[in-house]
Amino acid sequence: MKNTPNAPEHTTMSHETNTHDGHAHGHVIVSLFTLRTVLALLLFFTLLTVGAALVEQWIASAFNVVIPQWINVTVALSIATVKTVLVVMFFMQLKYDNPMNTLIFVFTVLTAAFFLGFTALDLGGRSSLDRFKAQYAVPGGTGLAGDNTPITRRARDKAIAAGTYDPHKAHHDHHGGLSITNAGYLQPKPTVGSDENFSRPVKGVTIPGLPGFAERSNGHSDGHDKDQGGESGSKAPAGQ
Amino acid sequence: MASIHADPHLPATDHGHADDASKPYHERYHAAHHFKSRDHEFDSVKMGVWLFLGTEILLFSGMFVAYAIFRMMHPEAFIAGSGKLSVGWGLLNTVVLLLSSYTVAAAVRHAQTGNQKWLQINVVLTFFAGLAFLLIKFVFEYAPKYAEGKLPGMFFSYPYATSEYEPLWWGIYWGATAIHASHVIIGMGLFVWIWLRARKQHFGPGHYNAVEGVGLYWHIVDIVWIFLFPLLYLIH
Repeated sequence: MKNTPNAPEHTTMSHETNTHDGHAHGHVIVSLFTLRTVLALLLFFTLLTVGAALVEQWIASAFNVVIPQWINVTVALSIATVKTVLVVMFFMQLKYDNPMNTLIFVFTVLTAAFFLGFTALDLGGRSSLDRFKAQYAVPGGTGLAGDNTPITRRARDKAIAAGTYDPHKAHHDHHGGLSITNAGYLQPKPTVGSDENFSRPVKGVTIPGLPGFAERSNGHSDGHDKDQGGESGSKAPAGQ
Repeated sequence: MASIHADPHLPATDHGHADDASKPYHERYHAAHHFKSRDHEFDSVKMGVWLFLGTEILLFSGMFVAYAIFRMMHPEAFIAGSGKLSVGWGLLNTVVLLLSSYTVAAAVRHAQTGNQKWLQINVVLTFFAGLAFLLIKFVFEYAPKYAEGKLPGMFFSYPYATSEYEPLWWGIYWGATAIHASHVIIGMGLFVWIWLRARKQHFGPGHYNAVEGVGLYWHIVDIVWIFLFPLLYLIH
C-alpha cells in the first residue's frame, strides 16, 4: 500500500530530484483529482446533514410528532463520522501512511469513546428514571428495579453482613477527600447549591452575593435547620 | 544567505564538500544528525505530529463529554439555545473550513511535486480561509451574541430565555467554539511561517516535513468543526 504511487500527474512534473538519501521514494502523492473528489463529497455530506435536520423538523411539524433526541444526534454524528473518515484517509493520507499513525489515531478515538460511554452509563439512565419513576428516585440511584435501597447503602449492608465492614474506616472515608459515594451514608440534602446527591441542581439563583440569593436562602434556611434535626433522624442510616 | 548557511540541516562548507548554493534549500537539506536518513526523519516527525494530534483529540473530547452530559441533563436548554444560532453562518463557515482543508492537502501535494508557485498559492489561500472563518465567527456570531447578553453562566443577561438552563448551553457554545477558534488563529500563524519558508524555496520533494505537519494539524481543526457544526447548530 505504502509504495503504490497514486499520482498520474507526478511523471509530468519536471522536479524529479535525485536526493541524497532517496527521500521522495515510498511517499505517496495523492492526485489532485482524488483531493477534489473528496472535497466534493465533503461538501455533499455537509448539505446532507443540514438537509437531514430540516427534514426532521418538517416531519415533526407536518405530522405533529415528537422526534426523539437520539435520532437527531445519531444522524448528525453518523454523517460527521463519514466526513471524518474521508478527511483522515485522503487529506491526512492515513490510507497510504505508516499503519502506526492509524493505530495512534484509532486508539485516541477509542479513548474518547470510553470517556463518552462511561459518562452516558450514568446520565443516559437518569432521564428515564426522572420520567417514569420520579417518585422512587433515590440520590445516587439504586441500580435495581423494585428495590428502593441506594446502591451505596446496599454495598454497605452487604459488607456488614459479610463482617468486613469497618465503621472506623467508613468514618474516615466519610469525612475525607475523594469519596463520591459517602460510603453508604445518606447526607441531609443541602438546600442551596448542588452536589453529587442531586440529579438536578436547585432552581433559581444559588450563588451567594447575586440578587435573588438572599430570599431563597432565607426562605429555606429555617427548613434546612429543621431538616438537620428531623429528616436526618428519620432517613440517615446513622440511626441504625 | 548567511542565515541559511547557519542552518545545521545544510552541509557545512568547511567540511570539504562544496555546498552547491545554487540549488534550493530542499535539495541540499540534510536530516538532523540523530536520524539515519531524511525518510527516517520524516517518519519520526510525522509520528510525533500524530501523537500531538492524539492529545488534541483528547482535549476536544473533554468538551464533547461536557456537551453530552449537559445535553442529557437539560435537553430543553440545548434546543432553546441552538434555536438562537444562525444555521446559515455556521454552514458557510463549514464550507470555508472544508475548502481550506482541500487547499492544505493540495499544498502538501505541490510541495511533494516541487511546484513552488502553487504551493505558495495554496498556503496563502488557506490562511485567508482561516481569516474568513474568524471574521464570519466574530462579526456575525460572537459580536451580536455578546451584545445581546447570550453569554455563559453568571455573565448571561439575555432577558428572553425560555429555559432556565440556557446559561449552561451558552457556556458550552462559547467554550467549544472559542477553543476551536483559538486553534484556527494558531494555525493561521503557522501558515504565515510556512509561507515565509516556501518563498525561500525551503520545501520540495526532498523536504516538506513542516508543510505536512501543519497540514495535519489544520485537518484536525477542520474535523473538530465537522462535529461541532451539527451538534451546536442543527439541534431542534
